[in-house]
Amino acid sequence: MIIEIISITMIISGLFFFLGAVAGIIRFPDFYTRMHAAGKGDTLSTVLVIGGIALYYMETHHWEWSAILVALKLLAIIIFIFISSPTSTHILMKAGFDAGIKPKLKENSENNTTSEES
Amino acid sequence: MKVFQTIIAVVLGALLIYAEADFPAWASSKSPANAGELSQYYIKNIYDETLVPNMVTAVLADYRGYDTLFETVVVFTAGLAIFAILGTGVMREKKTAVPAPKRIYSEPPFDLIVRISTRMLVPVIQLFALYVLAHGHHSPGGGFQGGVILAASFIMLELSSDLRAEAAKLTHRMSIWLGIIGIVIYAGWGTLSLFFGGHFLDYDMLQALFPLDPLMARSHSMLIVEVGVAFTVSSIMLLIFRQLVSGGYSIPDKQA
Amino acid sequence: MIWSYDAILLILIVITAIVSLSIKDLISATITLGVFSFLLCLLWAEMGAVDVAFTEAAVGAGVSTVFLVATIYNTTRKSSD
Repeated sequence: MIIEIISITMIISGLFFFLGAVAGIIRFPDFYTRMHAAGKGDTLSTVLVIGGIALYYMETHHWEWSAILVALKLLAIIIFIFISSPTSTHILMKAGFDAGIKPKLKENSENNTTSEES
Repeated sequence: MKVFQTIIAVVLGALLIYAEADFPAWASSKSPANAGELSQYYIKNIYDETLVPNMVTAVLADYRGYDTLFETVVVFTAGLAIFAILGTGVMREKKTAVPAPKRIYSEPPFDLIVRISTRMLVPVIQLFALYVLAHGHHSPGGGFQGGVILAASFIMLELSSDLRAEAAKLTHRMSIWLGIIGIVIYAGWGTLSLFFGGHFLDYDMLQALFPLDPLMARSHSMLIVEVGVAFTVSSIMLLIFRQLVSGGYSIPDKQA
Repeated sequence: MIWSYDAILLILIVITAIVSLSIKDLISATITLGVFSFLLCLLWAEMGAVDVAFTEAAVGAGVSTVFLVATIYNTTRKSSD
């Protein structure tokens, strides 16, 4: 029962973070902040949703060895996404920076000089 | 002209939607694909005749062996065609000056994060490719899928780090030879059964080679055939990738 | 077969197909085609044809996207159509 509550909480919070990532992609002003929202939100929410599914599967199958094996496979997917998704976000950011996309800064900010140097 | 195309598309779509009403229900056992004589034969007899639980692999590699053999040849021929169109002076460097192509492969300094994480992921992907290839009898998978995943892992490695150094390890000539070796494994295994008194690709006769019953000989022969397919597919995919990414000539070969 | 999941997938497939045909920038069209392939892969996996889904994910969404991007980089990026 407790495990089910934990897993359902994980899945729902994962969906909430997905929603946050989508809102960030739509609402943020420029490329870098959008990629930030997409990368962070996607990674965390995918990990949460898949982890919740793994817990739920083990609980409903009474912690048999076959269910634990399925959970291990899901864990492998989690590790894969945990490595590959931030890497792809990073390389997209780097490609955008090399292509000369300037981050949107405040008008009178001191950081304004860094964007002109790049 | 756009109006004409739109009319054609709309009429075709309407016809398709109209024909869709006559389709059998999803996964219906009475649909012609399932209730036909041949399908019923396969569904009833495949496990008894080949000891392979995955029906798709059994049909692909055993009952339809000729099809798969020539599909492999088609993949190889496609790679050769792309090589023939794009490959100017790959086997041997041309003396004439050619304009340098644009590059999409990376040059040093390589991105550290991408390189390290690719290095962490690539062995796992290759292990999964070999699992898909070798476990094709019992779970979905087989030679084509395993070969493509293997080639994709190499492509990932070459995109993230030094393409020239990777290309020097497996030259174009070698990858064409690997494609030929795959076809030779497949066709040679089929020919081998001729010597034991069977037909071409008649794996039953190979029980003389294995100290097993003939059903296991069929099952293991499928694995060998799939290995041949994976050889050809992965090496040809890698060849096509390198041809496209370099415009055909800018990667120095060992012969150059 | 969950019909609502199917309906969402099919609608997205139609949208991505139309977008990838009508967009002018060829790289964006290629990425949209990759999304289209991946949605097809999901649909096939959901219908139980895991073999085909496998092949579609590896070939359609993975390798052919790389091939098309490589071809675009060696030719031109803007579609004249």
